[in-house]
Amino acid sequence: MKKYYYIIILIIMAILVISSINLEYGHPENLDFVNYYFEHGIQDTGAINLVASVYLDYRAYDTLMETIILFMAVIAVLFFLGKGE
Amino acid sequence: MKNSQIIRTIARKLFPFILLFGFYLTLHGHLSPGGGFQGGVVIGTGIILLGLAYGVRETEQRFKEKYLGILEKLAILSFIFLGLLGIFFGYSFLKNFLPLGQKGCLASAGFMIPLNLVISTKVAAGVTGIFYTLIKYRGEI
Repeated sequence: MKKYYYIIILIIMAILVISSINLEYGHPENLDFVNYYFEHGIQDTGAINLVASVYLDYRAYDTLMETIILFMAVIAVLFFLGKGE
Repeated sequence: MKNSQIIRTIARKLFPFILLFGFYLTLHGHLSPGGGFQGGVVIGTGIILLGLAYGVRETEQRFKEKYLGILEKLAILSFIFLGLLGIFFGYSFLKNFLPLGQKGCLASAGFMIPLNLVISTKVAAGVTGIFYTLIKYRGEI
């Protein structure tokens, strides 16, 4: 019985992949926010490095949560492996 | 555990240059490839190299685990505090409130340098803390 499930899932995956080969996820001329970063990034943030201007100015929330994720990882390692006082 | 004299000497001579490279990556994060995360990982790697060459017990006398933990928590709190300063200056949260300066110079891009320094401190302390804990759990070195 389990074999049929695998076969059905494989067929569904094949149909989805084949039908989505020619799907268009955005056209390069319509990516307004990317063009905005290229044109106004240096004037807005003052940083030459556009990557830095994105991850420290436009998407600073993302960086904050990223540091909190690392903080949680350190806490988890200390909790499971640390000796404790 | 004692490593050979060659490994210990090379690690000791290499350590300041690794720290220098890490600080360079951090401070030039808004001008060239690099940034806070990468610079912090490089600084942490220097301390890990010392720990592998000399043993954790000897390294911990210089870089104590307690102070590293305090440094890490202080760094993440100051990140949030820098974000809140934007509200106090009349903008939104995590808004660049410092003057932008001349483009291309080291002292430009407002509060990106303090943010990069804070992130670098936090990542270096976190990586070193994880290393200490894992080594002590295994009971080796």
